[in-house]
Amino acid sequence: MDFEWDDEQSAFRETIRDFITRNVPADWEEIAGHGPGSEELTHKSRLFCAALAEQDLLFPHWPVELGGKGADPWHQQILAEEMWGAGEPRGAQYMNVNWIGPTLVRYGSEAQKERYLPPIVNGNAIWCQGFSEPGAGSDLASLRTSAVLEDGTYRINGQKIWTSYAGLADTCFLLVRTGPDRKSGISILLVPMDTPGITVREIPSIIGEGDIHEMFFDDVVVPAGARLGEEGQAWEIIDYSLRNERLGIPRYHLARKTLDRAVATLGKHGAFGEEAVQIEAARAASLCEAARSAIYAIISRRAHGEAVGPEAAAARFATVMAERAVAEFIVEHLPGSLGSAEPYLKMHHQRGIVAGIASGAAEIQLNLVASSVLNLPREPR
Amino acid sequence: MDFELTPDHVTLLDALEGLVKPFTTAPIGEVPFALGNEELEAALVEGGFLEIAREPEFGLVGAMLVVERVAQLPFAVEAANSAFVGPLLGEGVARPVCVAEADRLWQPIRFLRDGATLVILDNQGGASTLTPATGTVSADPESLFAYPMGLVSADEAARALPAPHLDGRDLRMRANLALASEATGLLRAALQSTIEHVSERKQFGRPLATFQALRHRLAEIHVRTDSLYWMTLRAAGLGDPGEAALAALHAQESARIAVYDFHQMLGAMGMTLEHPLHFWTYRLKALTGEYGGRGRQAMTAARLLWPEACAV
Repeated sequence: MDFEWDDEQSAFRETIRDFITRNVPADWEEIAGHGPGSEELTHKSRLFCAALAEQDLLFPHWPVELGGKGADPWHQQILAEEMWGAGEPRGAQYMNVNWIGPTLVRYGSEAQKERYLPPIVNGNAIWCQGFSEPGAGSDLASLRTSAVLEDGTYRINGQKIWTSYAGLADTCFLLVRTGPDRKSGISILLVPMDTPGITVREIPSIIGEGDIHEMFFDDVVVPAGARLGEEGQAWEIIDYSLRNERLGIPRYHLARKTLDRAVATLGKHGAFGEEAVQIEAARAASLCEAARSAIYAIISRRAHGEAVGPEAAAARFATVMAERAVAEFIVEHLPGSLGSAEPYLKMHHQRGIVAGIASGAAEIQLNLVASSVLNLPREPR
Repeated sequence: MDFELTPDHVTLLDALEGLVKPFTTAPIGEVPFALGNEELEAALVEGGFLEIAREPEFGLVGAMLVVERVAQLPFAVEAANSAFVGPLLGEGVARPVCVAEADRLWQPIRFLRDGATLVILDNQGGASTLTPATGTVSADPESLFAYPMGLVSADEAARALPAPHLDGRDLRMRANLALASEATGLLRAALQSTIEHVSERKQFGRPLATFQALRHRLAEIHVRTDSLYWMTLRAAGLGDPGEAALAALHAQESARIAVYDFHQMLGAMGMTLEHPLHFWTYRLKALTGEYGGRGRQAMTAARLLWPEACAV
């Protein structure tokens, strides 16, 4: 038991911080404010990730046999905290290093690995995740986009929605229905985004540019070799791939950094002396540190080789509470920061609203806690 | 960074589990709100569990584990301040150990009685101590709080002796850790008791626990309780006053949010003396008012976290 970072972990964090400082432009906070899916940030991310790759810092947590350094889960968290805390200069590519790359290594054919892995490990690949549909959000298994196998090709028809990064993505990690069974009728296709029949429409949003889209698939034809794994294996694959993603983005870290910045700004203007303001700031800080502690407890278990189960959902919800408390504090006490004066605070506010919605809604997390942690009797279906 | 308990901690918890086993259920029948247990208290003292923080291999984390487990019992025994604050007061300090703020001595204090050790914290980082003489503390047997409460006379309080050898900052940190550890155990026990009720009690032909209106609230209380546990453990391990203040704040916030939900879900059953829920919830209520309550606790935390901004 040790609640301090050891020298090596601290040095790793410093290396990352130093790298970020040296490799983002002077107006980075302004650029980051446009959102991780924006054209400008996506363009910068290709340069930034390529430089990360050159320094062996793009995927140090991958196992050695995959070309990584086999760094433990703490290193992955430190990397994620520093990147997200800096406005995520990796843009959409955080997904590649977190799960798409390792999934391709485990389940991909030789041809798929040869085609898709080099750009990922070189830091120059933008993927999007074609999961949600108009009728399949939290209830993902009800998805209907179909892929019919005929003469060695799949013909895809359907619609995806809320897809991040789709406008600039090279490839889509697409979930399609190939059979009637809710879960075992779902397959994965790796679809180049320039395939004829794909239409992408950006949905203007309050969270930034290029972050959410609709995708239409009209008689899109891809070879059978685009399928990842077996037909009907999608649920098993994404369950494995996203296992380490269950804790989500380290939002508590940006939330706390943002809170500290907001307090410093208030202090600079002599506006933090009021007790009412101090009380609300401390409340938000307590929720940030509560979330951090819950997340670290799980990472610690993972570092000891234990599998992470439904308790990750509790830590995720703690993060949502922290994110909201900080956003509320800023709106109430630094309303001007939602303008142009403080891009960093504005960035947090824009991204914070996503915490309880993306990658598994907060209510789904609470359902998981109720059923699988507290073992409450199930709701009737 | 490593949150895994050491083998020593695991052994400690195993030993404690054996000790508390006979005390896990409340006696049936009408019993006082503040249900003490001298036998349990004696066993904890004799086993050295309240001295555990003095042992370097256990430290404040050891104290946290002991206090959190003991708080889950239906009995109110003074373990928290003895385990956290007691080691700063020297060998053989008289128990119970009580902690209060200098400007709140006119309010009843948990566990205070004649001969107890009262540590008084001022808001300048100093402390004084008092062992109230016989007849100077009036107990309030009618208190709704599920702790024995005592009120010290103003004349006796004025006799408190400054204790310049004590570090008020360290005392306050330990008092906050004591509060947060105890609240964690109380929340855990009350949550478990509520889960048992709503899982068995059926209305409209199905267990109450199958209604999402209850499930989400229980899940959220679990999120608060679980994060409070890890946060308090981390604050204890770091021995950091700011983190300890945040943990105490999270405890007081969570207690306030959870207590009425627990009772709401038990309905009339939670109002009976037959059901033990009130042993935990009415201790939690007392903790929400400790050290000036959430507002003052938050200000304490803010001044530790952001001293420069607060000074402007």
